[in-house]
Amino acid sequence: MSKPDPNAKSRLISQTELDSWLDGLASKQTLIAPRDVSGVVLYRPVAGSGEILAGVPRPVMSVKELFFPPTERLLRIQKTRTGINVKETLPEDQTIIFGVRPCDARGVRLLDALFLDTAPADPYYARRRANTTLIGLACRELGPTCFCTSVGGAPDDPTGMDMLVYPAGSGFLAEAISEKGHALLADTGWPETVIGGAAPDSTDHFPVPEKGRWLGHFNDDYWMKMSERCLSCRACAYVCPTCRCFSVRDEMLGPGEFERIRCWDSCAGENYRRVAGGHRPRAEKGERLRNRFYCKFLYFPGQIGRSDASACTGCGRCIEVCPVGVDITEVLQDLERLA
Amino acid sequence: MFEPKIVAFLCSWCSYTGADTAGIARLKSPANLRAIRVPCSGRVSPELIMRTFDQGADGVLVLGCHIGECHYDTGNHRAAKRLPVLQTLLSFGGLEAQRLRLDWVSASEGERFARITTEFSETVRELGPVHWRPEGRPRQEESRDLPIPSRTILFQEVDFTLRTEGIRAKARELLTSGQVGCLIGYGTSPRGRTRPAFIYSSEESDRLVWNADCTHNLSGYLVDKLAANQRGHPNENGSHLRIGVVVKPCDSRTINVLLAENQLSREQIHVIGVTCEGMRKEGGGLQQGCVSCQERTPVVYDTLVGEPVHPVRQCSSSQSDEIIAELDKARPAERLEFWLSQFDHCIRCYACRQACPLCNCPTCLYERDDSTYVGMGIGLNEKRTFHLGRAYHLAGRCVGCNECERACPMDIPISLLNQKLAVEIEKTFGYRSGLAVAPSPIVTILSGEYKEG
Repeated sequence: MSKPDPNAKSRLISQTELDSWLDGLASKQTLIAPRDVSGVVLYRPVAGSGEILAGVPRPVMSVKELFFPPTERLLRIQKTRTGINVKETLPEDQTIIFGVRPCDARGVRLLDALFLDTAPADPYYARRRANTTLIGLACRELGPTCFCTSVGGAPDDPTGMDMLVYPAGSGFLAEAISEKGHALLADTGWPETVIGGAAPDSTDHFPVPEKGRWLGHFNDDYWMKMSERCLSCRACAYVCPTCRCFSVRDEMLGPGEFERIRCWDSCAGENYRRVAGGHRPRAEKGERLRNRFYCKFLYFPGQIGRSDASACTGCGRCIEVCPVGVDITEVLQDLERLA
Repeated sequence: MFEPKIVAFLCSWCSYTGADTAGIARLKSPANLRAIRVPCSGRVSPELIMRTFDQGADGVLVLGCHIGECHYDTGNHRAAKRLPVLQTLLSFGGLEAQRLRLDWVSASEGERFARITTEFSETVRELGPVHWRPEGRPRQEESRDLPIPSRTILFQEVDFTLRTEGIRAKARELLTSGQVGCLIGYGTSPRGRTRPAFIYSSEESDRLVWNADCTHNLSGYLVDKLAANQRGHPNENGSHLRIGVVVKPCDSRTINVLLAENQLSREQIHVIGVTCEGMRKEGGGLQQGCVSCQERTPVVYDTLVGEPVHPVRQCSSSQSDEIIAELDKARPAERLEFWLSQFDHCIRCYACRQACPLCNCPTCLYERDDSTYVGMGIGLNEKRTFHLGRAYHLAGRCVGCNECERACPMDIPISLLNQKLAVEIEKTFGYRSGLAVAPSPIVTILSGEYKEG
């Protein structure tokens, strides 16, 4: 875990200064921040700081949707008289996202591991990453389902951010993390200080079982039992900052015109692993839900070759949205206890 | 001048021949009509019509044989029942109701064909181009956010100890005597949340609870659970063990619908009905669906826990009744904007569908490998098609348990669609689903339902 350097230079600013700075940013490029959208908090473009929700709450959806959108057009395919015309559609917008929580930014780093660091890099994702600046906001307090400290994160973890803002008293401490962040802060002329922000401490610590435990309990009856209440919906995967499965299909737009789209998919869905001939290797919902946990804690660390990096950021969103109370922290504890 | 694109589904036996008759008689009929020949007006499924509007039709006309003259006896009865329901739904979703018309034209009625098509074409021309597709619709300058009243009906605290004890005692009895192999009830998660619990032995019975958060409709688990049971080994008598389930009054109505649709049989289940004063929503107050609910005692049960109470309505009109009334008053364009703004944040996670105990198709029409009725994308148009289509599929079936809305991670008021249709069906057919084991009148044709001529 990379704790912020206590001697790093940060800048002390007031709420008004922060607001007018954000207004300035919004006038130059797209500013995305937590906003109220018909009663739901979401990361959406804002015209200025006035539209950002007071207290900058954490949105229901993670920032994942801004880099890896629910649906993305990859190509536009047109049949012409002489052949086929294929046009790639790459995103162009320059964007700043404000109010990103450490768990979300960490999620972006984990998505990078697969979309950027693994060759070939995904051009759509790469373009959005390059065009986006992440301004994080350290958490003043932990939410009821938060457990970031159990999976290697922290309420003030700067991983994946370009700049991090800590609430400090009635104002904020702004610290640049990446080069993009330094460039942004250099223009502000805010005075530099060396006081660090204090992060809240988590009381809930959940064990993350060792690789061996996951391997040893794959065939346990436990998974069939714990998943009985699962509805096989995809809410947990879609709100997750690191679930990254997708499906690709060509859709007809009109006569001789098609688009190739990529959109979110989830291993919880019954069709997810269906293969030619109709065979479904994960026919039971227990097998499907089990995969969610194995993917987070065993397959992903294996894929990127780092045993300490689980694909769970401890944001607790899946626990919040599950209509039937499936709880990832309960699974971790149960697995630790299984004989 | 604006030339509307009109798609006409013509029954092969009457209306299509009627169009020919009109042609032979050299009667004038509109040139902007694209005729699609179908075997019967009953073949024109609502999905087909929705797809037609999705693809940019300005108006859809369905013409069939007169009632009593259907080549397949009752095909046009189906159309006559379905299309008004679909029209209500599409109109509630923001499409002008006049853009969809169902009428009857026989083979000899060339003149009638010419008149109806001309009339329809003129009506649609007056309405102007359709703005059903989300992209490229004109910006609604004067569109206002429809006021959603935020009112909380107080939740009255009740002592649940007796009912919890009652459920546990019955569970113990059923499991010890081997009358059921599994009991589906409510338990508590380590975080203290109430959630579905599956109990297999009498020792586990003490895990069962009853409280103000037993919102889930557990009857949704029955169909899958019974199927899994059938795949397992039968007991020594050669039969499969029954499954017990704890139900509230609303959930019990689901059981009646499932029985009517032959999804399960009465002997396979043991129903523990619990009387209910309404459930609490997160953050206090009465659950949305409970406000206008009248049932206090389950309509079907083997064991009743709690004292039966006379039906009482908590409140004359619920918040959703008010929103529906508000939407009905609004212009179609405003309704369209309202629903698009709601569906905009849908993530197509299917939580609503999966939580719905009556959404039990093995493969959802909206999740097929081909994109026949809806594309795979998580775009606004696809999401709307899914939600409206799902609402239609639940018309006359939905019992109003509100699981869809409760399960939605994005708090979309989806159940308004179902409620709107439930009211419409009660008005038209005098039918409320699930009160008895009877199939929904919109999917059945009873003899003598329509008089000839």
